[in-house]
Amino acid sequence: MSEALKQKYHNIVSQKLEDKQLRKNLLSVMDTLKGNRKKLIASRFYDWEALREQGKTLKQKNLAKLDTLLEKFESKAKENGFIVHWAKNSDEANNIVLDIMRKNNINKILKGKSMASEETHLNAFLKARGLNPIETDLGEIIIQLIDEPPVHIVAPAIHKNRYQIGEIFRDKLGAPLESEPEKLNEIARTHLRKEFKDFKLGLSGVNFAIANEGAIWLLENEGNGRMSTTACDIHVAFCGIEKVIETFEEASILNALLIPSATGAPVTCYNNIITSPRKEGELDGPKEVHIIILDNNRSNMLKDSHYYRALSCIRCGTCLNHCPVYDKIGGHAYLSTYPGPIGEVISPQLFGLNKFSPMLDLCSLCGRCSEVCPVKIPLAELIRDLRSERVGQGRKGVVGTDSSTQNKAEIKAMQSFMQIATNPKKWRLLLAMADFLSPLSKTFAPLIPGLKTWTKYRELPKLNGNLHQKVSKMQGVIYE
Amino acid sequence: MRVYFFGTCIGSMVFSNTCVNAIKLLQREGAEVIFKKDQTCCGQPSYNSGYYEESKKVALYNMELFKGSEPIIIPSGSCTGMMKVDYIELFEGTEHEEQARKFSNRIYELSEFLDKVLQVKYNDLGEKTKVTWHSNCHALRVAKCIDSAKNLIRSLKNVELIELEREEECCGFGGTFSIKEPEISNAMVSQKIKDIQSRNVEYMLSADAGCLLNISGAMQKQGVNVQTMHLYDFIAQRIGIRG
Repeated sequence: MSEALKQKYHNIVSQKLEDKQLRKNLLSVMDTLKGNRKKLIASRFYDWEALREQGKTLKQKNLAKLDTLLEKFESKAKENGFIVHWAKNSDEANNIVLDIMRKNNINKILKGKSMASEETHLNAFLKARGLNPIETDLGEIIIQLIDEPPVHIVAPAIHKNRYQIGEIFRDKLGAPLESEPEKLNEIARTHLRKEFKDFKLGLSGVNFAIANEGAIWLLENEGNGRMSTTACDIHVAFCGIEKVIETFEEASILNALLIPSATGAPVTCYNNIITSPRKEGELDGPKEVHIIILDNNRSNMLKDSHYYRALSCIRCGTCLNHCPVYDKIGGHAYLSTYPGPIGEVISPQLFGLNKFSPMLDLCSLCGRCSEVCPVKIPLAELIRDLRSERVGQGRKGVVGTDSSTQNKAEIKAMQSFMQIATNPKKWRLLLAMADFLSPLSKTFAPLIPGLKTWTKYRELPKLNGNLHQKVSKMQGVIYE
Repeated sequence: MRVYFFGTCIGSMVFSNTCVNAIKLLQREGAEVIFKKDQTCCGQPSYNSGYYEESKKVALYNMELFKGSEPIIIPSGSCTGMMKVDYIELFEGTEHEEQARKFSNRIYELSEFLDKVLQVKYNDLGEKTKVTWHSNCHALRVAKCIDSAKNLIRSLKNVELIELEREEECCGFGGTFSIKEPEISNAMVSQKIKDIQSRNVEYMLSADAGCLLNISGAMQKQGVNVQTMHLYDFIAQRIGIRG
């Protein structure tokens, strides 16, 4: 992989690790989220594991027939009066929004929470064309004010504590300095009400797209999602192809898995199920609803015998909450829209392995993410599989797979490892050398690359080798 | 009963006394221990870095070396996870899949073998003490053998086990991870050490040499004074086995 790219990751990781406030905020919030989830699962669910199994099975079943489900969803949605668009990539998706805005002479768009539109960098795209995208999710408002991308899939401003948020509101909105959550909410609400007045275009994401009914289901906690999707003339919904499932029953199962995993709450405050634009005789709701179905290399993931499982993701973010690396460095250090374990799996596949391969090292393969994923995506396994793509030993179907990601020195080292580990004479020689050299290792440690990094933060162990000699002399042991 | 003993690479290089104690624990229960002198490493370093071709060669070497029907006992949850679970994944859909499955059935982490198969009963000869326990990630989530290790500790009547608050969090070793991402690894182990210090115990035990190297090395660097010990050294000491 290119040295410049690796260096870029190294620099941002170091910078985030040094940010003591960030570390403190992340640790405290992640501990709360994990704790809430654990308590809720223990007290409200009698068989969470069976529910996870059900969620996994239903997602995989639906992914297996995604092509027919997408067709069905499109035709049902059209019957219901939705306008359905297909976008192969970010550019196509963003241009669809641009066309709608231009056609209707609209220059402002109010956005509910949508990671898919973050993925396409819609805000930057619109701003570059003189249009004004305004975030309405509380977390998104905060980071938009300071021009940062989301730090977390579910909680975009989770790296800022309430005191910092108070300062942002004071500096950017001219509000009085506050730190109480209620007061901060009040400031955001007052700010937003002005924007919501007479707005024409609202945007949202989609949590579940239901093929049998041609309906979309959105989850949110603040009510701004409801405003963004109902109080406007036109509503645009961004929907990744993998969000389509067959039935409402399935959506209910996924919903029951998503909310506890995400925040440790049993349900969200708002479940917005949208089945059509405003019908004749109805008093409110948008007159026009567009659904943009986004591919962005997802269909390429779907083709792979292992990676397709990552499309089961319901974007609950619990893998981030439980990741011992994420809570040290935060989402921005991954340099991608999608951080954390799920980000490591999907970012290289959505945006190119050559551009995002260093993020695969931000993982100790501890496997905690796989353990908590509500739809049982084997995240750690897939991260390891992607490492094998990086070194040129995978199935080679990931976009952006080329030799630029290979580390020649590492390849050589691993080949030598294999040769020694399959040659007992060489292996025993290595052991003998290690034993012989161990008294000197402290002196030479700074000169040997691996040992140099090791001894920066740890003392070298006292080597106590010579196992073969000891065992061969042990009474009763068959040394053969 | 005849069993194979797999000492692991870190076991051979750094923790040889632990391996000797582990063998004695098996012998104490009447097991006849076979130590293949040609044994090397389970192949995890290359596997976790994505070098599947190299790892397959090491795995095939091991499956050939330890052929037969005897159980293969490993004093490490991490290597147990590799040989018991990851080998199957490595050979999934290949001609060696069946061989890997059969091999997997013979793999045991030592504490699991002592607790579940041999159902040992220990007479604790030591003074009263308080210990805490660090769960190795692969033992916990891949080999799934942590319960046995804790059962063994709890069976020692003068030992009080005080669990860590962040027991299930990775210590930041992760094999090559600690070399590739030393800063993040240091942040992780430092959090682990804080947790250990907060427990007010005499010993921190673990049944994984990698985690122990990482945690004890960082503790020494930071001047933290809690003793770390491998589970099998600790048990041997408690029941009067001399290393």
